[in-house]
Amino acid sequence: MANDRQKMFAKHMEAKFTKEHGSNKMEGGEITDMVGKYYRLGVDQAPRKVEMKKAGQEIANKRGLVGYNPMMHCGGIPLGQRAITPSFLSGTDDMVEVDDLHYVNNSAMQQMWDDIRRSVVVGMDMAHETLEKRLGIEVTPETINHYLETLNHALPGGAVVQEHMVETHPALVDDCFVKMFTGDDELADEIDKQFLIDINKEFPAEQAEQIKAAIGKSSWQAAHIPTIVSRTTDGAQTSRWMAMQVGMSFISAYSMCAGEAAVADLSYAAKHAGVISMGEMLPARRARGPNEPGGVSFGHFADIIQTSRKTPENPANVALEVVGAGCMLYDQIWLGSYMSGGVGFTQYATAGYTNNILDDNLYYNIDYINDKYNDAAKTGTDNKVQATLDVVKDISTESTIYGLENYEKYPTTLEDHFGGSQRATSLSAAAGSAVAIATGNGNAGLSGWYLSMYLHKEAHGRLGFFGYDLQDQCGATNVLSYQSDEGLALELRGPNYPNYAMNVGHQGGYAAITSAAHAGRGDAFSANPLIKVCFADSLLPFDFTKPRKEFARGALREFEPAGERSLIIPAK
Amino acid sequence: MAYEPQYYPGATSVAENRRKHMSGKVEKLRDISDDDLTLILGHRAPGSDYPSTHPPLTEMGEPECSIRELVEPTPGAKAGDRVRYVQFVDSMYNAPSTPYFRSYAAAINFRGVDPGTLSGRQVVEARERDMEELAKFQIETEMTCPALAGLRGATVHGHSLRLPEDGVMFDMLDRVRKEGDSIIMHKDQVGRPIDKKVNLGKAMSADEAAKRTTIYRADNIAFRDDAEVLEWVHRVFKQRTIYGFKPEATEL
Repeated sequence: MANDRQKMFAKHMEAKFTKEHGSNKMEGGEITDMVGKYYRLGVDQAPRKVEMKKAGQEIANKRGLVGYNPMMHCGGIPLGQRAITPSFLSGTDDMVEVDDLHYVNNSAMQQMWDDIRRSVVVGMDMAHETLEKRLGIEVTPETINHYLETLNHALPGGAVVQEHMVETHPALVDDCFVKMFTGDDELADEIDKQFLIDINKEFPAEQAEQIKAAIGKSSWQAAHIPTIVSRTTDGAQTSRWMAMQVGMSFISAYSMCAGEAAVADLSYAAKHAGVISMGEMLPARRARGPNEPGGVSFGHFADIIQTSRKTPENPANVALEVVGAGCMLYDQIWLGSYMSGGVGFTQYATAGYTNNILDDNLYYNIDYINDKYNDAAKTGTDNKVQATLDVVKDISTESTIYGLENYEKYPTTLEDHFGGSQRATSLSAAAGSAVAIATGNGNAGLSGWYLSMYLHKEAHGRLGFFGYDLQDQCGATNVLSYQSDEGLALELRGPNYPNYAMNVGHQGGYAAITSAAHAGRGDAFSANPLIKVCFADSLLPFDFTKPRKEFARGALREFEPAGERSLIIPAK
Repeated sequence: MAYEPQYYPGATSVAENRRKHMSGKVEKLRDISDDDLTLILGHRAPGSDYPSTHPPLTEMGEPECSIRELVEPTPGAKAGDRVRYVQFVDSMYNAPSTPYFRSYAAAINFRGVDPGTLSGRQVVEARERDMEELAKFQIETEMTCPALAGLRGATVHGHSLRLPEDGVMFDMLDRVRKEGDSIIMHKDQVGRPIDKKVNLGKAMSADEAAKRTTIYRADNIAFRDDAEVLEWVHRVFKQRTIYGFKPEATEL
């Protein structure tokens, strides 16, 4: 298949490398030029760096202690010996300063993680059974509505039952709420619409049917505790804060005795038996409680991202949005901050979601698959190609060589992905996602990922850094391993899977492959329908249907986060 | 029949060059003096003694040990040298070597070396005089073009950046320059100015670099055109996959 198609990255490369930004003198030339000009302009060429430099000087003057000073970069030689260029968020026309894709500088990125960390799904049925069977209290849609009204007062920090209690200020916790959902249309009809995540409304009809069938008659609450609470404590706090307020709300809404033994049952259900956390607790060597990023499986993460219900006809787009969000969470926040520290991981991660380089590779693959395998890349289940090693070999090889040749024919893309780890992530995410879409099989996609790594290494005689590609040298062996922990289905793997614990630049791709397999089939969810529904809610500050656009809004300083403290600090 | 190592598959010049690098049978193209090498490595002053971390092994009173008897220590280990590094960066625009092939060359042909392989750089740590032997070998032979490759202890992203108009791989720390026909180095590996300019010799022409390179590129020898290498990679992939799933089914 000809690979001289219109390149999706061309417009972005032209803006980056042939047009001046700030005063970087990147004017003229072609994106295919093999020769570049280096003006060594330092940080003064870039608008954001100039702003940061000025801020650093002001801070030093104010506090009498030096701080940010770009001349400290490398023996007095600052960043910007080559042009500092902006980037585009892939899938958008939004051009941003790359500094603004560090999560510290990007409120949307912070909010994405805040919204995940502060969320928990809690079953209602166990509590209802306790009320009905043990206490003989009737539970009706009316009592459920009353309970949910009570909980929406209590969950943010409003007092119930006890008199003369301290409460949180509503304006500080206005992002906190709880809604319910159920696979039972009759019950859903009876629930006050303000409290309901309406599966029929939020999902395409076919997906809604799948989700309702999976959930059945059971009822669940999607609880989101205040961002400010979650930020002050940690992810493990989410279920505890929720459970206390749920327990108190049951007592109040159903006029229970505050001390009766049944309260313990309600409490147990809310704290343990009926709780679905976004992330599992981690073992002692990486000790974190539930709802911290290292415990968020790829399947859960694929379900948290909501693109699949908005563009079900375009599985590539679903995977690409998951790549972007996954690289941000797993690389920038989890590995980059929790596990490693420092600021370097952002540069790796952005390669997966900027400038359409990965997008171009994946959409090329979609065309290749549809041509060669009778539309197997279109959404559906009857059109999939069987997941064999020959299919993996064919698609992954074509994808990888296409991507490698783009780096060779378009030196500006090589310059944009100037680290081998960036290139490896982009190439392998394209290959793995493509195989997953074609086969509907996440582990086949993972197999395609590893083959892509091998091909890349042999073609260029280099891959990532030590810690990057050592996992990839042995990865193929664990794709289908007969040993149960090693051979785990991709949906159930996560950052805590043995080989992935320090797997920089990979995990966003793995999450994407997971989502690609299911988006390719037209599945409504990847691993857990409850999590998929929990985030199908436009009341959340972060729009999980289009994370890359949200990151752009954050970088452009257009995003409005939650959990701000301006109400309780001196006005400036 | 004597064992003949095969090293690497492939029918192209890139594959042939890879075999050459791995075998150590590479052409010597230039000379670098010991003092110049010491200067650009930047670990000690030229002419000074090697700093040591322990007395010579002969003075150590080592315990009886069959492994010690079996393995001859390297000169650096014998003398008690400290461990130091040399780090190469190779441009993706047809530099003769690539990180993996520098590592293979080091591990196959030198003793007591600890190669590290990354995308932009390749580091070898060893006892200082052993490291210098390797560094001298790689600098003086066709494994290195002074314009397309260089010693860089830090800031190595020039490997993937477009070449400047003078053909000398971009270096953020400006360690290397072209003066007349020669490539000179006026800072050491980590960018500290050195007392004199070290002449690293002439750059390879574009044609020569294309002929000697170990990187596949679409504008030279395309990876997709080396069928034997592709077939071999596919075999490795298949073997590793099947071995994890069902070890007894692996074809030997």
